Amino acid sequence: MPGKSLHCVPALPLTSQPLPHLTFLGRAGFSGFPSPAQDYEPRTLDLNTRLVKNPTETFYVTATGDSMEGWGIFDGDLLIVDRGVKPRLGHILVAMFEGEALIKRYALYQGAPHLCSAHPHYPPLPLEGSDCQLWGVVRAVVHEYLH
Amino acid sequence: MIGLVDANNFYVSCERVFQPQLEGRPVGVMSNNDGCVIARSAELKALDIPMGTPAFKLEGLRQRGEIHLLSSNYELYGDMSARLTQLLRDACPEVAPYSIDEMFIYLDGLDTTQCETLGRRLHQRIRRHLGLPVCVGLAPTHTLAKLANHLAKHDPYYRGVCLLSGHDHTTEALLKRTMVANVWGIGRRLAERLAISDIKTAWDLRESDAKQLRKRFSVVVARTALELRGTPCLQMNALDQPRQRIMTSRSFGKPTGVFAEVHNALRRHAQRSAEKLREQRSLTRAVMIFLNTNRHRRDQPQHFPHALVPLPSPSDDTRIILDAVRQGLEKIHHPRYQFMKAGVMLLDLVDAEQYQLSLLHQPGRDRHPFLMATIDQINQRMGQGTISFGMTNAPAAWQLRCAHRSNRFTTRWDELMKVGTHPGAIDACTSRTQPLP
Repeated sequence: MPGKSLHCVPALPLTSQPLPHLTFLGRAGFSGFPSPAQDYEPRTLDLNTRLVKNPTETFYVTATGDSMEGWGIFDGDLLIVDRGVKPRLGHILVAMFEGEALIKRYALYQGAPHLCSAHPHYPPLPLEGSDCQLWGVVRAVVHEYLH
Repeated sequence: MIGLVDANNFYVSCERVFQPQLEGRPVGVMSNNDGCVIARSAELKALDIPMGTPAFKLEGLRQRGEIHLLSSNYELYGDMSARLTQLLRDACPEVAPYSIDEMFIYLDGLDTTQCETLGRRLHQRIRRHLGLPVCVGLAPTHTLAKLANHLAKHDPYYRGVCLLSGHDHTTEALLKRTMVANVWGIGRRLAERLAISDIKTAWDLRESDAKQLRKRFSVVVARTALELRGTPCLQMNALDQPRQRIMTSRSFGKPTGVFAEVHNALRRHAQRSAEKLREQRSLTRAVMIFLNTNRHRRDQPQHFPHALVPLPSPSDDTRIILDAVRQGLEKIHHPRYQFMKAGVMLLDLVDAEQYQLSLLHQPGRDRHPFLMATIDQINQRMGQGTISFGMTNAPAAWQLRCAHRSNRFTTRWDELMKVGTHPGAIDACTSRTQPLP
């Protein structure tokens, strides 16, 4: 589980605008000389701009289970799911498979599209002939080491 | 062209986005404090369970697992509504939210084919990207767009998108079989009066002489007739109907980012909305506020936030509504943005008399039943705003009963949807921790 108290920011901004940040322009005292740092306008790196491309269509979910560890998704990891991305082979998806939400890799297995895990105990699930609906494409996984 | 985008069974659909097990099942959402049913899935409607059914009557069905009853999760619905509005804003020149699940889009400059294509694209995109089923009605006027939306929803032929040009056979056939009472802005009582003059269907109204209508009924009826002919003449706020929701909004004289100024404007709108609410003898279950920056100022940062605050029990008390407004504003206000417009919307209205008659009525709401009436009377006699409320600041200790509320999947880190990496992973996990509701 991701920590609770550490996260008090809203889940996502609902406009495509950058989050508000204070800008700070450096000045060298009263000397009248502009600070050399002024040419490099300070910026803050905002993870939202890197990991959330479509704020309106992005949802966060928590991964449960061990069968995707081979792809770097561990139990309790935070997934950033973009529902606006068109799925392609090789993408990791959240799909509604037979009425259950699953994280799987969308890949070819014996020439046909399957939902694959990274664990020998869980064989690929064929898409053909099954009730499967795309929910979203996993854009990133956040694995927190400190809680 | 004007479009009306209306989500199907919005509250239930929001729940289903994150709970696939509810798909295809009879699902109901209950009012605050789990009083009665306020939203139903198609499957629940098919069981003949009417809107407003007290929850205790359904307890048996729920316990036997035949139906699902959920507490209202306004935080989730509010967020999904904001996403829907934003998605439309990204695709359309102008969007006006009409209620939590209905938005008007204004498509000036597009021809009929382009409008229909856009309507289809939006329909598909909202379904795929947000997981919400919607219907889109397109027409030259608000009134016709509302009818087009109804048709899109109920006639499978249209597959969710219906365009009425206003002058074709489809429009004529539709208007001929639409009773006048089902036309937007025509209430039941008005429909009875119209029936006496032999105006029974929407078509009859359309074919009546507007001047006569104006003389014998009202200017709103005359305008509605024109709207049915395809001549736009209704402003969204000017509709005088027993409303499902009440909205008061206005642009500021000059843009402002100051909390107190925005708050003051919202307080004025809230008081006016509460008056309208009492005028039509309704109670509100939730208060939504929204702020808009000036979207024509491309050089300024844009922000269109909104917040939804559920009330502990349905109310028409201005003080309670004002308190909800303050709570909402504290959540969404940011001094970085220059806001141009603010509005207050009262949602999920319920008939005051019916509610008071119900067994579930909880005392306490009407501590001062005459206070509001007196204020309204004075304001009516002496002019609007003669008496208004000063700042109230005591934060209400609201404890909503919400025994069956699902997780707030989009607004709380510790309530995210859990997704298994393989079939059965969730079940294995929930047996270790707390079960999902």
